[in-house]
Amino acid sequence: MPRLAYSFPEEVLEHVFSFIECDKDRGSISLVCKSWYEIEAWCRRRVFVGNCYAVSPATVVKRFPKVRSVAIKGKPHFADFNLVPEGWGAYVFPWIKAMAAAYPWLQEIRLKRMVITDECLELIAKSFKNFSVLVLTSCEGFTTDGLAAITANCRNLRELELRESEVEDICGHWLSHFPDSYTSLVSLNISCLGNEVNLSALERLVSRCTNLQTLRLNRAVPLEKLANLLRGAPQLVELGTGTYSTEMRPEVFANLAEAFSGCKQLKSLSGFWDVLPSYLPALYPVCSSLTSLNLSYATIQSSDLIKLVSQCESLQRLWVLDYIEDAGLEVIAASCKDLRELRVFPSDPFGLEPNVALTEQGLVSVSEGCTKLQSVLYFCRQMSNAALDTIARNRPNMTRFRLCIIEPRAPDYLTREPLDAGFGAIVEHCKDLRRLSLSGLLSDRVFEYIGTYGKKLEMLSVAFAGDTDLGLHHVLSGCDNLRKLEIRDCPFGDKALLANAAKLETMRSLWMSSCLVSYGACKLLGLKLPRLNVEVIDERGPPDSRPDSSPVEKLYIYRTVSGPRLDMPGYVWRMEDDSALRVS
Amino acid sequence: MSEIDMAVIKPEMMKPYVWLQTSDDSIQQVEQEIAMFCPLICQEIIQKGMGSSKNCAICLPQQVSPAMLSLILDYCRFHQVPGRSNKERKSYDEKFVRIDTERLCELTSAADSLQLKPLVDLTSRALARIIEGKSPEEIRDIFHLPDDLTEEEKLEPLRNITADPRIRLLNRLYAKKRKELKERERLKNIEVEEEHVDERSVDDLLSFINGNEGEPKGVKTSKNKKKNRRKKEQQKNSSSKETSELDKKEVNGHDIRHQSSEAERISESSYLHYAEDGTSTPKSDDGDIYDGIDPALKEKIDREVEDFARRLNSDWPERMQELLSSGQDRKTLLFNTDGFLRRHACMFSLVLQYFPFSIICFLAEL
Repeated sequence: MPRLAYSFPEEVLEHVFSFIECDKDRGSISLVCKSWYEIEAWCRRRVFVGNCYAVSPATVVKRFPKVRSVAIKGKPHFADFNLVPEGWGAYVFPWIKAMAAAYPWLQEIRLKRMVITDECLELIAKSFKNFSVLVLTSCEGFTTDGLAAITANCRNLRELELRESEVEDICGHWLSHFPDSYTSLVSLNISCLGNEVNLSALERLVSRCTNLQTLRLNRAVPLEKLANLLRGAPQLVELGTGTYSTEMRPEVFANLAEAFSGCKQLKSLSGFWDVLPSYLPALYPVCSSLTSLNLSYATIQSSDLIKLVSQCESLQRLWVLDYIEDAGLEVIAASCKDLRELRVFPSDPFGLEPNVALTEQGLVSVSEGCTKLQSVLYFCRQMSNAALDTIARNRPNMTRFRLCIIEPRAPDYLTREPLDAGFGAIVEHCKDLRRLSLSGLLSDRVFEYIGTYGKKLEMLSVAFAGDTDLGLHHVLSGCDNLRKLEIRDCPFGDKALLANAAKLETMRSLWMSSCLVSYGACKLLGLKLPRLNVEVIDERGPPDSRPDSSPVEKLYIYRTVSGPRLDMPGYVWRMEDDSALRVS
Repeated sequence: MSEIDMAVIKPEMMKPYVWLQTSDDSIQQVEQEIAMFCPLICQEIIQKGMGSSKNCAICLPQQVSPAMLSLILDYCRFHQVPGRSNKERKSYDEKFVRIDTERLCELTSAADSLQLKPLVDLTSRALARIIEGKSPEEIRDIFHLPDDLTEEEKLEPLRNITADPRIRLLNRLYAKKRKELKERERLKNIEVEEEHVDERSVDDLLSFINGNEGEPKGVKTSKNKKKNRRKKEQQKNSSSKETSELDKKEVNGHDIRHQSSEAERISESSYLHYAEDGTSTPKSDDGDIYDGIDPALKEKIDREVEDFARRLNSDWPERMQELLSSGQDRKTLLFNTDGFLRRHACMFSLVLQYFPFSIICFLAEL
């Protein structure tokens, strides 16, 4: 009965919507009916744009007039591996400009893999009086001068996080631009900065900001200074140390240990560049309450690692180098029963011989002992179908599984067979798997398994795998919830792509590089699917200068409602759609 | 006996009562103490002096039916008792909203009209929980809402294409073909065991030849320390807002039906027409694959699959040539001298020079 809808005043519906924050649900609400669409748009406070080219700033700003918080992602994920050349795009300036005009009350900006210049930072500092959160993950294009504009002007800044971003470090005094009266800092992450910041300014800042919860220092902060900083902020919940090494002096050690003991709320540790193992015991007082430990820069040996992690019984997230070895992972399996996420990074990825005793067995142990394990990123040199099968059966609750066998096309080291069956077991048993990265020797068969079982899979990364187009076809036709697919160096060509062209409109993006997709197929896709941007990246020169059958270097296809982007560099060609040919 | 008589007869039970008129025009008497919990009623009593008798009954907003008033009064009656613990109140609230959605909606409206904020919050949250996780169609059903957005406005690209019967049939055909190829291969391997060994020695030979070149001395230098660790950051205060349905909802979309059919036409041009076969999704065991398809069509389909396999096979030699000649260029792009090399997902950038040769070895089996 329409009676129900009309008896709800808008304010009531708005009030109901205010309790719904998840983007997916907001999306569903907006698709229910016209009135809900309008009300939802009007009261939307938070917008997430997964691909900055999928929609234009003008459209967002027009539809959602009252946004306070924006998160935008730019370059494709494979940019992390240098597969996206310089100058590709993902400039945030048009967004900042549009929002400066439309959202004077904007509070939060979170960007990932975007290019942000000092000019943008200055515009932010000038335009948003209540600005409070700036998180830049894997971004680039700015300098410490831009940061100075933020610190000098944003009186209500609460979070300033530079995660893995490339910052041109001109001068460490940007931190001193925070006025003495400024005390609202809650989170500061400068871990990616190369040079020193003004330490005394930092100490003063830390001690006067009594709400500070997160402090991630950069490598340049010496260990001797850490104790003082900690004393200034005993309420810290998350700490990233600077360099964790200095000449061993008992008084420095005692000072540090005492400072750590004073931090009763500490739950997360990171940093640990250049660790001197004899300073690790200073951490022991806080180990038992740690939920997150990032040792991915700590080049310490297995025995020291074991001594540390064996005390971290509350650990939920662990990032560590492969120095942990199988033995260490066994200890973790026994001690860290709450572990949800494990990442093991390679210490010597380019070495031809293994330098550590880390094999598939370590992961098997953890999968057995840690029943809450859901998220895995594991670099190793050997894997077997049997191990993968065991892992899959142990942990059907796995949601993210990324395995990186260092040697491409490495087969099952026991049977010399492809790892199809092993990954097949993963997708079959882990019914909630959302993200998967493949490695090792893989035939089309593994893709058939993925297409059959990977019904909840949202992101798939593939490299050096598959035999024919059939592989790609299985994935595109089988994975109902696929949103992001990234492929490199696989023998996938035109047929699967063209046969499943409609699928591409249901996904955020597809990346294919060093595959066998021809220029002709790209043209056809671009022509027939105007709601996709089919962008060919080819640094060899215009694809027109080569035959249509010639494979393109790289291909990035994404759905969009804003048509072609206007900032493509010279080596990117967008395949025209026939709307360009229509007379308006 | 009238209510007034009752009040006279039992003076020890005398509590102030207030008269309220609900949406059906019926009038009832309610303990004043309880009714005052509702700001609107409170306002009417204090500011306008209403409700003291049947004649000047407070006219409640039309959202308040007798049933709703009863519920609201129950709520007020419970919560106005001061001694209750938070736990008790919470428990009562949770049970209180366990009613069917239609009544919950009515209750929200009624509470809102009476300005009873705590109850509005409670019911709104309950409604939000009902809405969460549901699809637009489900939400429409539950709340009896019209489906009045146009296709353009919905920009609904999330059609499930695996339901496409062509795709399903294609999958089954491939499964059959693959089974045949596997059989053939099995027979071949029994005779020609050495081929397998040969492949590996090619790789070994390569690593011997290319061993020195395998060192990652990159040509390209990167500016600063770009950390290329493979990571999926989910650290933002534990809420991972990964999905972006923004582009789905835009108003200035194109004609969806037109586009869908274009996409289908591309599929068709690759694989021609197949009969609709409305059966369930394929599994690898495909004994019944040709059920219900007439022989002439079956032959046509067989030919198509053969043709497909042949085309795949014949294309490779030319493509290999191209790859081999451009292999060198590609190598330099993928290595760099970054000091933080271990942060790279090196699994991807290693040993590129093996790639073209391995591919050939693979395809030999097809």
